[in-house]
Amino acid sequence: MKIDRRSFLSFVVGGAAGTALTPIPWKLTDDSSIWTQMWPWTPVPANGEVAYADSVCDLCPGGCGISVRKVDDRAIKIEGKSGHPVNDGGICALGLSGLQLLYGPTRVKQPLKRVGTRGAGQWEKISWDAALKEVAQKLNEIAAADKTKGVACIADTDRGTVPGLLKRFLQAYGSPNFIKMPASADAYELAIKKMHGVAATAGFDAENADFVISFGSGVIQGWGAPVRMIKANSAWKAAGAKFTQVEARKSITAAKADQWLPIKPGTEATLALGLAHLILKKHPHPALGQGFGPLKKALEGYYPTKVADVTGLDEDLIITLAGAFARADKPLALYGKGRGTTPGSVGEAMAVHTLNILAGNINKKGGVWLMDGSDTVEWPDFTAAAGAGGPRVDGAANGAYQDSPYLPSRMVSALLEDSYPLQALFVSKSNPLYSLPDSENVKAAFSKVPLIVSFSSYMDETAAFADLILPNHHYLERLEDVPSPTGYPEKMVMLAQPVVEPQFNTQHTGDVVISLAGTVGGSVAAAFGWENYEACLQELLGDAWDTLLERGYVVNEGSALATDLTALKFAGLDAGTIALEGDAGAFPLVFMPYDSLRLSSGYIGDTPFMMKTVEETILLGNDSLVEINPATAKKAGLRAGDAAVIETPRGRGRVKVHLYDGIRPGVIAMPRGLGHTAYDKYLANKGINTNALIGPVEDPASGLDAAWGIRAKLSKA
Amino acid sequence: MDSALIPKGVKRCPVPQFGLWLGVWTVILLWGVYALLLIWFKGLNQTNMNDSYGFALWIWADLAVIALGGGAFFTGLCKYIFGKDELKHIINYAVLLGFICYSSAQLILAIDVGQPLRAWFIFWHANVHSMLTEVAFCLSCYFGVLTIEYIPLILENRQLDKIPFVHNLTHNMHEIMAVFAATGAFLSFFHQGSLGGVAGVLFGRPFAFREHIFIWPWTFFLFTWSAAAFGPSFTLLCTKMIEWITGKKLVKQSAIELLAKISGWMMITYAIAKTADTAYWASQVNIADFYTNNPGSNYGYWILFTEIVVCGFVPALMLITPTIRKNPVLLTVAIILACIGVSINRWVMVLQVMAVPIIPFEGFAAYFPSWQEIATTILPVAYGVILVSLSYRYLPVFPDEAELNPIEDEEAAPAVEAAVEDEDSGDDAGVEPLPAEA
Amino acid sequence: MSQGHSNSNSTEKGQSRAKKYGMVIDLDKCTGCGSCMVACMQENNVPFKEDETDKLLSLTWMRIYKLSNKKSFPDADICYLPRPCMHCEGHGGHSPCVSVCPATATDYSLETGVVSQIYTRCFGCRYCMGACPYHARYFNWWDPVWPKGMEKSLSPNVSVRMRGIVEKCSFCYHRRQLALEKAHLEGRRELAEDEYQTSCTQACPAGAITFGDLFNPEHAVTKIAQPDHHLAGRPQNPDCFRLLEELGTNPKVYYMTTRKWVRKLGDHYFGKKEGKRAAAH
Repeated sequence: MKIDRRSFLSFVVGGAAGTALTPIPWKLTDDSSIWTQMWPWTPVPANGEVAYADSVCDLCPGGCGISVRKVDDRAIKIEGKSGHPVNDGGICALGLSGLQLLYGPTRVKQPLKRVGTRGAGQWEKISWDAALKEVAQKLNEIAAADKTKGVACIADTDRGTVPGLLKRFLQAYGSPNFIKMPASADAYELAIKKMHGVAATAGFDAENADFVISFGSGVIQGWGAPVRMIKANSAWKAAGAKFTQVEARKSITAAKADQWLPIKPGTEATLALGLAHLILKKHPHPALGQGFGPLKKALEGYYPTKVADVTGLDEDLIITLAGAFARADKPLALYGKGRGTTPGSVGEAMAVHTLNILAGNINKKGGVWLMDGSDTVEWPDFTAAAGAGGPRVDGAANGAYQDSPYLPSRMVSALLEDSYPLQALFVSKSNPLYSLPDSENVKAAFSKVPLIVSFSSYMDETAAFADLILPNHHYLERLEDVPSPTGYPEKMVMLAQPVVEPQFNTQHTGDVVISLAGTVGGSVAAAFGWENYEACLQELLGDAWDTLLERGYVVNEGSALATDLTALKFAGLDAGTIALEGDAGAFPLVFMPYDSLRLSSGYIGDTPFMMKTVEETILLGNDSLVEINPATAKKAGLRAGDAAVIETPRGRGRVKVHLYDGIRPGVIAMPRGLGHTAYDKYLANKGINTNALIGPVEDPASGLDAAWGIRAKLSKA
Repeated sequence: MDSALIPKGVKRCPVPQFGLWLGVWTVILLWGVYALLLIWFKGLNQTNMNDSYGFALWIWADLAVIALGGGAFFTGLCKYIFGKDELKHIINYAVLLGFICYSSAQLILAIDVGQPLRAWFIFWHANVHSMLTEVAFCLSCYFGVLTIEYIPLILENRQLDKIPFVHNLTHNMHEIMAVFAATGAFLSFFHQGSLGGVAGVLFGRPFAFREHIFIWPWTFFLFTWSAAAFGPSFTLLCTKMIEWITGKKLVKQSAIELLAKISGWMMITYAIAKTADTAYWASQVNIADFYTNNPGSNYGYWILFTEIVVCGFVPALMLITPTIRKNPVLLTVAIILACIGVSINRWVMVLQVMAVPIIPFEGFAAYFPSWQEIATTILPVAYGVILVSLSYRYLPVFPDEAELNPIEDEEAAPAVEAAVEDEDSGDDAGVEPLPAEA
Repeated sequence: MSQGHSNSNSTEKGQSRAKKYGMVIDLDKCTGCGSCMVACMQENNVPFKEDETDKLLSLTWMRIYKLSNKKSFPDADICYLPRPCMHCEGHGGHSPCVSVCPATATDYSLETGVVSQIYTRCFGCRYCMGACPYHARYFNWWDPVWPKGMEKSLSPNVSVRMRGIVEKCSFCYHRRQLALEKAHLEGRRELAEDEYQTSCTQACPAGAITFGDLFNPEHAVTKIAQPDHHLAGRPQNPDCFRLLEELGTNPKVYYMTTRKWVRKLGDHYFGKKEGKRAAAH
């Protein structure tokens, strides 16, 4: 058949019309839309049986009770446990996003052995047996060379059974070098020791106070137990309690306070002593008696005009504040800048504690409780090896620093100076390469250690720099005791219980330590007579075990330590002011890091969800923004959004300018928690790590790191 | 080569030249198609739109193109309903431009939605309260009308017209064209208005919101009115352009002047109404917050002045002044200003309305289109040029072309002969592309 | 209006009466800690991506704004303001977004006062986003992607949204449905106040968020905000305000603060009606 134009046209038109009359186009249209409604690459979460499992969050020292919603064997939501003494249902952003850590790409999924150069990220997967054998062999070699003191361990805390096992291991092996990461509580505990003569931790009964002065504490930015303190802040508002924030920057804590004293940074100790001077002179607490002669003398120089001059605050304001504080029913002074990750000077801690003493609030409702800080558990006896005594790598608990138990920053300098070489370093639940001041120096110091073993569950900076990673279970996979939250006024033990099965080939650090002891053998093995960690924990917790399994926490009543308020010592009280590092000429500005609950700045890095909450005035693209007062910026020729370079004696970095009227002229600020190089793509290489810009400044009285900032300059890029 | 397809009595450029011209525009078209495919396959992340600028370049292009395409319905309305027979000289071209504008608008909408495969839900799950539903229905229907209006023109192709059935169909369609013109005008009235209503009903957006008459906000009427006023100017502008490109006079001056005059009078009444609307609006909201040069924006009062005075009153007064509209240069200036004016109006009603923060503690949102958005916005232009070129070459778009451009050289003589032959043998519809008697 | 009237009048244990769920956020207690945002993301399967610093491309059903009093040091002050969907009632359910949706993909329930979003119906025209003055609606510019293994933490109670559609806060409506199912099994038709709470309310460490039925005078939210149902829910508590009150969106999220500058910043109106309102009070 010949197809002419006409028949062709008829065919096309007719075909089109015919097809349109069939259901085909309509069916295809419908099917394609149905396809878009269930694209195979858009996940459909499976349904299943819903159950709740309770545990304790261990992502920060806050110790919140949590309740995890599960669907079959998947954990799908972490919620705050209502009725829990610490957080009663509330929960912070980090605690809420714990599942992103559990299932996320930052997990170290099995033991890894470095194959490339350090920190290059080249790993070989090895079995647990091989890993343990390798570590044990190395430890035995070190012991054979009589260098057991060259083994050290850094951990987030020295309380609880896992740090206890690590300490015990070192002692049985022959090393005194268990080191805890720094915290402001270190300085406060030291102050209590110096003033009261007792070793105690401080519990702040914030909820019941009715007049609170905070000396730069980020009361609602993560200080102490974060959720608990936010609850306390709400309780103050409900009860009409007054809250004064002393800080150079209008932080959110300052903004929520009833009164904000925009003090010249670094003069907080002077203000505290000035207030103490006024209180002692005008409003002596009746219960305190007359034993304060030496103190009165020590405070003579802190008269209001001088204090006003030093602190940059109004004299009348200081006088009014002193009166209001003294007259309040339950006044309370808080110490520890920001979240409390830097110790500060013991002198400043003493100055603040003096206010608490003068307020008569020691061991009183709404006041400061001196509590036995030791673990409640009774460890079975064992024989410490010979090397377990003597000088430590960080020079702590010795000589001038007799009362300071841990001085991690000094460890860094000892390594750099080769004055106390280390053969092996174990790192547990801490990230010193990121968190210790002057990160570059820390890295250089760690480079000198031949073997670094990380127990980290996540690929943090220190784990990435390690030679071996023996990954711990995630906290929702783990059975472990959790000590009292920082600053909590009662002594508590809590129990974290596994919520889900271990997702990867990880092992509980407690079990790893026990197994390692067995592999090392000899007297070390003898000190670890437990079959596994669970058996050890059950034995140690004793009577509390059943209650802990059932309820998750046990409060030990009456653990306050008695103190004689007539026999207090005030020596060193006026040594609280520490000069910043850097020359004011070359570095005209003062850089202060601050903390935010939307940025996890400790061992745990910010989760993807938390990164979503970080404001665009803090991080934009991959650039950190630096806060500066508009007047200061104008002088420096900087405008909002300008690219700039921040430079300190310790480091430099590219930033963008963010103008903020709430910051004191001459001061610039950035939050902690950014500038990671490890973890995942959601966190790495974004912004600046403030610890890389700041170096440690040693408090002569304690050896603690007293740096609260550093001098800096900001110039247009 | 293709002379058999070329209308009788007119001269067209050689095939290679035409091919080159088409080739250039096809490359641009393909660039747009590439961007379109990127957007369809990867999603709207290919654009620079964001949650503050959910409506952006495309919606503006859509609104502008529909406003400019308003020339089709309004010219048709004037010719078929109001009996302005002089407009028969330009009506084909107006219809063609309308067809291009409306098909482009639909294409842009198909790119603009996040789920193009579900776009038909707008008909299936229609929410009758939504202005967008009204737009979708009227737009589709009117596009159908424009297609019906365009088909006879296609069928008048010399070769197609030889088929008796087609010839008769064309003739019959011409007979009833007034019905479609009326339907088109009715539909246009609503969808142009609905597009105005899209912004005007947003009571959460005080700068977009306008008081209502019955169920329609003021902007409903202003949009219809402005499309009627400015659309013909766009038809004229396109006529000027094609005349400039072909180097021929294609439409009788009388038709151009008449349309310019109508456009001018519509424009002046619109500009007065728009002024009144602005005055009332300014009494309701603080327009200083809208026309502001805040950091990150350049949305100052200059926009208002340009829209209403420079590109509103000025071209309107020019077009209603006989001496000016008779001057080809000044006429061109006036119609260019007019097209800019209505485009600015659509820009303000969509993009500026989106950019201006409503929450007092929010700032201006910044937006600059991505290349994909620009390419897909240029795509319809390329498509339009190609369709106009093809139509001009092969269809009797301009009925007066042969008369206005008599062919003198021998090469084209056979065509003239053929035309004469045809005229002798057939009916009058052969040379007169659209029936004057309708 | 009549509906609000009849409901607010009865205090007896009514069964299955219409509810009007709403929220009061105490800005004096709010510390801007971000818990509400993350609680919402985890509860509602909100996706995340590598760069979330462009807030105009970041899905945050609950977003915390930082307000500034624009004064210079040391008088500068800041305040955080969490912004969920306001679940506007408009006039008789004629909320700004619901009325414009061409495909009926979003709806205002007169039974609960919740503005719902049907993800499979929405075809992504984004008209509702333009209509919402609060920027409470978010578009899925990208396909949601969870790194391998992370999809395990997705909740089956909330559908994961595909690319190309609009999503927003639902007042955790699925929580109400789950609570109702439970109540039904126990032979009850009504929910107690604490049985249906949003994820953000539950998580807030400061206790700054109060959620409940604005028609129920026993509910804390009603006691705090004291909505005047004769005046489209306008709060009678002088410390309470609603964002952009004068637009007539009739939102169901109230804010409370003793700070005047904050109230002013949230209740600002564009132009001359401000005077009218002042006169009315």
